[in-house]
Amino acid sequence: MVMSEQLILLVEDNEVNRDMLVRRLERAGHRVSTAGDGEAALQNMRALQPAVVLMDMNLPVKDGWSACEEAAGDASIKHIPIIALTAHAMAEDKHRALEAGCCDYATKPVNFPELLEKIATCLNAGR
Amino acid sequence: MRAADAVSQLRPRLSLRGRLYLFSAAILILFAINVGTSLWGSFARNESSLAYQEAVTAAQLTAELEQNLQTKRQQVLVLATLRETTDEPLDEAALEQARADLEIISERLRQLGGFGGEELEAHYRRLHDSVTALLAEWRQFYEQYNADGAIIAVESARSYNSTQQRLQELDQRQSFVAVQRANAIDRTITLTDQITVIGFISSIAITLALVFAMIRSTNASLTRMKRGVERFGSGDLTYRIDDQRDSGEIGDLARTFNDMSAKLQIAIEEMNTARADADSANAAKSMFLANVSHELRTPLNAIIGYSEMLQDELGDGLDIDREQFHHDLATIIFSGNQLLTLINDILDLSKIETGKMQVSLEVFSPAALLVQVCDALSPLLSQNNNRLVLDIDNDSMRDINSDRGKLQQIVTNLFSNACKFTKEGDITVSASMTADALTVAVADTGIGMTQAQQDRVFEAFIQAESNTGLQYGGTGLGLAIVREFCTMLGGSIALESRPDEGSVFRVTLPAGPTSVRASA
Repeated sequence: MVMSEQLILLVEDNEVNRDMLVRRLERAGHRVSTAGDGEAALQNMRALQPAVVLMDMNLPVKDGWSACEEAAGDASIKHIPIIALTAHAMAEDKHRALEAGCCDYATKPVNFPELLEKIATCLNAGR
Repeated sequence: MRAADAVSQLRPRLSLRGRLYLFSAAILILFAINVGTSLWGSFARNESSLAYQEAVTAAQLTAELEQNLQTKRQQVLVLATLRETTDEPLDEAALEQARADLEIISERLRQLGGFGGEELEAHYRRLHDSVTALLAEWRQFYEQYNADGAIIAVESARSYNSTQQRLQELDQRQSFVAVQRANAIDRTITLTDQITVIGFISSIAITLALVFAMIRSTNASLTRMKRGVERFGSGDLTYRIDDQRDSGEIGDLARTFNDMSAKLQIAIEEMNTARADADSANAAKSMFLANVSHELRTPLNAIIGYSEMLQDELGDGLDIDREQFHHDLATIIFSGNQLLTLINDILDLSKIETGKMQVSLEVFSPAALLVQVCDALSPLLSQNNNRLVLDIDNDSMRDINSDRGKLQQIVTNLFSNACKFTKEGDITVSASMTADALTVAVADTGIGMTQAQQDRVFEAFIQAESNTGLQYGGTGLGLAIVREFCTMLGGSIALESRPDEGSVFRVTLPAGPTSVRASA
């Protein structure tokens, strides 16, 4: 496993799910930072300039859709790809996430190998 | 203008049948007037021809009378001359003939009296006197003719001349009266001709005017009707045809159309309401399904995620942190139980909705139940660092006859709600009893609710805000189930809440079996 130099920002309010995903991503060789709400996510994006963001859409303080829209309007972070991560599994939810500016979409429960592929795709596209 | 308005208001008030009757009657009256003037004209012509015949006859009689008088005078003059020269007497036959001649003259005179009427009365009377006197003289002449030595008196020339003059006067008068009558009759004929022509022309004009007025008024009524029906047809059911402008059949028709429109409007409104209800029920179900899907996926995410991760950790051959491993398994079990609760809630609500939820009564101690539930749920308290205050009025508490499982679920749901929406606060569970009722209250010092949120919070699938479920968990089924259970057990639930101060849910249940209802 090659340790990636690129940072992944995981935005998730549910502690159990956050802990689980951090551990799995680190085991897969990624460097992970976390945020618990939409506002903190935007701050971390500006401060840490992560290579990709995994964003739960249902967040306290500021939800994922608002955070995505705000990020798209901020020149310093609008280049960072965001993968939406949500338990909303309806077709319109996916459509809505892509409209909000996300580059991809993953439904909970997460299919981890697929998520890793999506992250890799976003990272390659970012280069 | 006023009069015209009055007329235009009056005319359409007639029903269609009334208009047709009026129209027919007017045409019949005009027809009768025309026939009348025509008959009058033909009567006048008849009169004229009779008067003409009468005048001709009277003139003939006058001429004959004049002729007779002249003949008789010459005879008398001849006889008088003969008597003086020959002194020969008249025989009886000649005398008889003379009397007959005089009688004919007298008869002619009477016939002449039958003609002329009042206008000729005076002239005739004078002629009559004169002729009668002349005839008397002639009669006397004949009576005395054969008498010896008698003086033969012959009428004087003056008497005859005067008679002649009277005859001429009568003749002139007859001509004058005839001309006068002819003129009068001519005038009458001219007048009746004029009246006939004027009557005919005005009949045509009035008939045309009536036809035009009727077409116009009927057309106006039908146009109003057509416009109204078109408006109805285009969906404007609030439009009303002016049904005061027409009476009778057309007014009735307008009212019928208006009634139809009103009923259609009501029907469509009902249909729209029903459709809106169905749509919103449908939307609520879809939303519920989306929420259920979301809520099932959240614990499943943990269960699958942790299981896969543990499998990976076991497979990579490194040393296993037993404590970490145990904690991860506990997380999987907790998430599994969360999933089970959720599935049970959905099943409960489904049972309630289809009327299949049963109430099973038993005698039990509510105080013991409350303590047991609070013990079992104590792990929930620690999640948000909340403190439990148990306030049971043991003096008033005794056994009740109710559904133990349902009361347990009511308290569990209220308690877990309180823990979910409160951070680092107090959860107070209190209970007391009156003679026939148990009151259990669950109070918290959490986020609370606005009045608008309180109004909807007991509805199934509804949470205080659409993203409350996402933020705090739950599908909005807990309180709906609590309220349904309270109702099934013959009790009620009340809510007091203020935003940012907390909420109090107070459940009141009957203590005995008498008021327990079998189903909701």
